[in-house]
Amino acid sequence: MISTTADAICFEPAGLIAFPLAWSWQQQLQQRLLADPGGPDSLLLLEHEPCYTLGRGADPAFLGFDPADPPAPLFRIDRGGEVTHHCPGQLVLYPVLNLQRHGADLHLYLRELEGVVIDLLMELGLQGERVEGLTGVWLEGQKVAAIGVGARRWISQHGLALNVEADLAGFAQVVPCGIADRPVGRLLDWRPELSAAVLRPLLLQCFSRRFGLTLRPPTPQEALQGW
Amino acid sequence: MPALSSTMTEGKIVEWLKKPGDKVERGESVLVVESDKADMDVESFNEGYLAAVLMPAGGTAPVGETIGLIVETQAEIAEVQAKAPTGGAAAVPAPAAAPAPAAAPAPAPAPAPVAAAPAPVVAAPPAPVASGRVVASPRAKKLASQHGVALETLRGSGPHGRIQAEDVERALGLTVAVPRVAEGSAPAAAASGNGAAAPAPAPAGDAFGRPGESVSFNTLQNAVNRNMIASLEVPCFRVGYTITTTKLDAFYKQVKSKGVTMTALLAKAVGVVLARHPQVNAATSADGGAMSFPAGVNVAVAVAMEDGGLITPVLANADKTDIYSLARNWADLVSRARSKQLQPEEYSTGTFTLSNLGMFGVDRFDAILPPGTGAILAVAASRPTVVAGKDGSMRVANQMQVNLTCDHRVIYGAHAAAFLKDLAQLIETNPESLAI
Repeated sequence: MISTTADAICFEPAGLIAFPLAWSWQQQLQQRLLADPGGPDSLLLLEHEPCYTLGRGADPAFLGFDPADPPAPLFRIDRGGEVTHHCPGQLVLYPVLNLQRHGADLHLYLRELEGVVIDLLMELGLQGERVEGLTGVWLEGQKVAAIGVGARRWISQHGLALNVEADLAGFAQVVPCGIADRPVGRLLDWRPELSAAVLRPLLLQCFSRRFGLTLRPPTPQEALQGW
Repeated sequence: MPALSSTMTEGKIVEWLKKPGDKVERGESVLVVESDKADMDVESFNEGYLAAVLMPAGGTAPVGETIGLIVETQAEIAEVQAKAPTGGAAAVPAPAAAPAPAAAPAPAPAPAPVAAAPAPVVAAPPAPVASGRVVASPRAKKLASQHGVALETLRGSGPHGRIQAEDVERALGLTVAVPRVAEGSAPAAAASGNGAAAPAPAPAGDAFGRPGESVSFNTLQNAVNRNMIASLEVPCFRVGYTITTTKLDAFYKQVKSKGVTMTALLAKAVGVVLARHPQVNAATSADGGAMSFPAGVNVAVAVAMEDGGLITPVLANADKTDIYSLARNWADLVSRARSKQLQPEEYSTGTFTLSNLGMFGVDRFDAILPPGTGAILAVAASRPTVVAGKDGSMRVANQMQVNLTCDHRVIYGAHAAAFLKDLAQLIETNPESLAI
């Protein structure tokens, strides 16, 4: 692997973050890169309050509830893919990258995001898998990480969600990613000692390695509004 | 439909952010395309007006297919829309059935093709061509030229009167092939007079004609022919070399995931070595009276075109450009070459040419020298080979044969040999240096 020395700003907000707040942060970071495509890549690592999100072209038929009266807040957002669920115990990684510097290839980017999770699972002694045509990371037939991204002028938004110790009950109310016949899993069921907090540094490390980015905290000028 | 990935063959239109008639600024998002789990906002390269949507939201189109038309002036909107079967183009259940993935990617950078014939609703004598241009799919054009059909006499059944291959076949009284219908589109309007028969089994190799036919060369083929004939005036010789690629192959595996292709690596390697061997980068001047030494090292790479002929897109300053940019530039050049959008300086400014048939498993070949350059390198496949060492030991290594064709007026045997020796040394001992 080619090592680069590029920096990326890593934002790690504490506590549970409401979806719209994290989305506005991503938009701020995307706007910065759109204005200055030579600027640094950045990364958000966080956990969400329970919510559901739909990709821009998602089919509401995969919701098991009335969209007007959802069990948790429901958002239609600017990413690809079908419905997914976020909740505490799930690590969410939102890289806002200038993909021109990372191959300028959306499929390649999805495969690299899967690679980040596969690398992480390998560190834990688990063998994560890709399934052709079913983007995400699979562990013994269960989907442990969901992936969906959106890009404008090759600046990415959204990313991956890895179920670590999440309560999976919320997934039962939808058909996650529109795939009915394959269950959603979480790492806790393979490694009972794991917690989301423990995995955070490892996930960042795997990301940093695969994308050749050195993570650093934001400078005061790089602070996000609403933080 | 733009290519958002080298592995993308088709894309789904999630949403049109503009309606027909809307003004579009340069760089403004016009639509959203989804491929796999990724969305991308697609922007217009030019200022203008969205005149028509040929593939509505929810539809899927192959990469390279025209999905919308952007025109320069408001007046042209009316012209385009007047030719749409039902006025509002978004309402057209566009049969995305143009069999050849070609034409301009939407947002069309030039004033988009204005349909030549009015809506194909009523059978009527062909209308005079308003804009003086006939809009036809590439396959339709090819068929028409093969069979001597004048496209101007046909009525197009495609969006905005675009002439499809089926229209030509119908004119010839041939069976209409079953059109390819993209997922999510309405049934293609392809009811043929004599019932759609299954297409004939395609032959395994490309051919431009059917048995018994004589087929005229197209423009590009004629251009290639002129160059090839001109090359007979050049006193050429050829020098071969066997290069061990075990290290290069290992390095390629490492950088492949970063989007680097073998073409980019070879172009970079050749570029770096050419910079050290300016004589091999030189050519005989047009009047034959001098040796011209180009200011830069521009590596052209030969690409066969689906509809005949070949083109040599140029990786400019290959010696000074990093392999990631080379790979990206190459992908962009090839996709635009396929959609016939290269500017002349993008395919005519090569100072040295690479021709690679390695991907087909070819173990050796030689290439014809393109006029205006001094040398071309033919690259064959890398294959595991038993290699004997000087001490009598044996091992297995990947090896490929390369063959340099040179204009002897400029390049002598010793120049060619020194160039190949340096190229081999770089590839065999230090391919990692290409990443720097």
